[in-house]
Amino acid sequence: METTALVSSGLDLQASFVDALQGLGLSPGAARLLWLPLPMVTVLVAAVVGVLVNVWLERKISAAVQQRIGPEYAGPLGVLQPMADGLKLVFKEDIIPARADGLLFTLGPVLVLVPVILSWLVVPFGQNLLISNVGVGIFLWISLSSIQPIGLLMSGYSSNNKYSLLGGLRAAAQSISYEIPLALAVLAIVLMSNSLSTVDIVNQQNGAGILSWNIWRQPVGFVIFWICALAECERLPFDLPEAEEELVAGYQTEYSGMKFALFYLGSYINLVLSALLVSVLYLGGWGFPVPVEWLAGWLGQSVDAPVVQMITATTGIVMTVLKAYLLVFFAILLRWTVPRVRIDQLLDLGWKFLLPIALVNLLVTAALKLAFPMAFGG
Amino acid sequence: MFGFLKKVGDYTKEAVSAAQYLGQGLAVTFDHLKRRPITVQYPYEKLIPSERYRGRIHYEFDKCIACEVCVRVCPINLPVVDWVMNKATKKKELRNYSIDFGVCIFCGNCVEYCPTNCLSMTEEYELAAFDRHSLNYDNVALGRLPTSVTSDPAVFALRELAYLPKGVMEPHGVPANAPRAGRLPEQVLATLSQPSAPATEQTATSSTAPNPAVADQGAQS
Repeated sequence: METTALVSSGLDLQASFVDALQGLGLSPGAARLLWLPLPMVTVLVAAVVGVLVNVWLERKISAAVQQRIGPEYAGPLGVLQPMADGLKLVFKEDIIPARADGLLFTLGPVLVLVPVILSWLVVPFGQNLLISNVGVGIFLWISLSSIQPIGLLMSGYSSNNKYSLLGGLRAAAQSISYEIPLALAVLAIVLMSNSLSTVDIVNQQNGAGILSWNIWRQPVGFVIFWICALAECERLPFDLPEAEEELVAGYQTEYSGMKFALFYLGSYINLVLSALLVSVLYLGGWGFPVPVEWLAGWLGQSVDAPVVQMITATTGIVMTVLKAYLLVFFAILLRWTVPRVRIDQLLDLGWKFLLPIALVNLLVTAALKLAFPMAFGG
Repeated sequence: MFGFLKKVGDYTKEAVSAAQYLGQGLAVTFDHLKRRPITVQYPYEKLIPSERYRGRIHYEFDKCIACEVCVRVCPINLPVVDWVMNKATKKKELRNYSIDFGVCIFCGNCVEYCPTNCLSMTEEYELAAFDRHSLNYDNVALGRLPTSVTSDPAVFALRELAYLPKGVMEPHGVPANAPRAGRLPEQVLATLSQPSAPATEQTATSSTAPNPAVADQGAQS
């Protein structure tokens, strides 16, 4: 909180909103209460719209890579295709297989989706443009993402289907083994920014625009994080839990209708979330390649002027989303480039390659921080 | 100590080369992004089937002599030839003929062996049906001619790759009268007969030799 006060605070919608409502004669508590649902709903809507965009991009880019056209008739360029998909899933019959555990079967997808959506709590789109600047921000995300394998295991086990069970087990094994290098990569970042808060992590990167982004100081960490994020999202080349050639659809085999839609939504929200967090941790978050403060200075504008604040906030959102979607594009391209790994190769990569490298990376970062406190956030 | 360092070095080398291969693969997929789609937008565009396409079989009732050769050469004796012997004329009288295309494998043996050429292959391949028994075509259904892709106003006909002009890979926008790459068998035949012609009448070479060449070029372009 103190560090945020030191840096120029930028656009603070909450303060303005509460002030405006208090001006209308509401008590501060009531004004805050009225404000509370707004960012939550906004972020939820943004996440779902992000998924729709993501699904459309996935289908269009996949089509382009394979020299097809892809969805074309639902809306201009097929932009409404994800809506049509979603609508179909909503109206489909919801089946619980005979002799499956109904309660766990229903709970599984919920447990997969809810932590992913909760993680959006800490994704910053600007200095004050996030639901809550939690002090343990990035740690919250890591701990929330470890709830997911329980949901996967639950749905795999309760489906009463061998493919589902195998898929669930694989998902759990994969999530657990890739969470460790992921956490270690994040730890190196945290070491440099002296804070777990996502806002502080971004602020620490935005001293000199693109040059001060963490990717230059943590190239190895960036690669580790990206690989682990792909594995956590069960994207190709790590989509073993739902490998259709071997396991039909893994833990999703018995699901249809709304419950399947939850899995679908969850996996895509998770992909967008991972891309957003990579951009927050390594690519300067909402930072423009040239710091907005410098640009304002060159143009002779005060950073606190309302217009400048508006422009800063807008560029912040645009930059965050742009970086995230560039990473999503990269993930989709990777999907059609790299073949799926085997389960033993997957675990080999996780435990024998990424884990030691992440550990070395952490140690080197710590050493560099001691040796060059200027460059590595002393 | 040295062995360990060597191990680390080898491991690093392997990781770097793996990354290089990944980069190569990504370059390939990225390059494919800017290429044009090669797909045929099926119900609106259709490929023109090749000359020897083995589609639904066409049958001419009036030519058929009910010899049942088609049944004998068929791998599963599929055609049903329903005839009766007319005692008075001592001739077979054909009453019905049918082929079940739900079972037919389109091998073309019947077409090959039919002594009166009453069977022939068409270019029709859209045989989807709600009931497989509706694919059992009787002689009336077998006698219908399919709609040609090129004459169907609702369809944009596309040529297959081998039928495109030389150097053209994209069937869209190729004019209908543009000649295909290479020469047709007749054209090849025309060039083959050319050397034998001057050998028989050597005196007229100067006047006749240019003519086939001109005709040949005219046929190609």
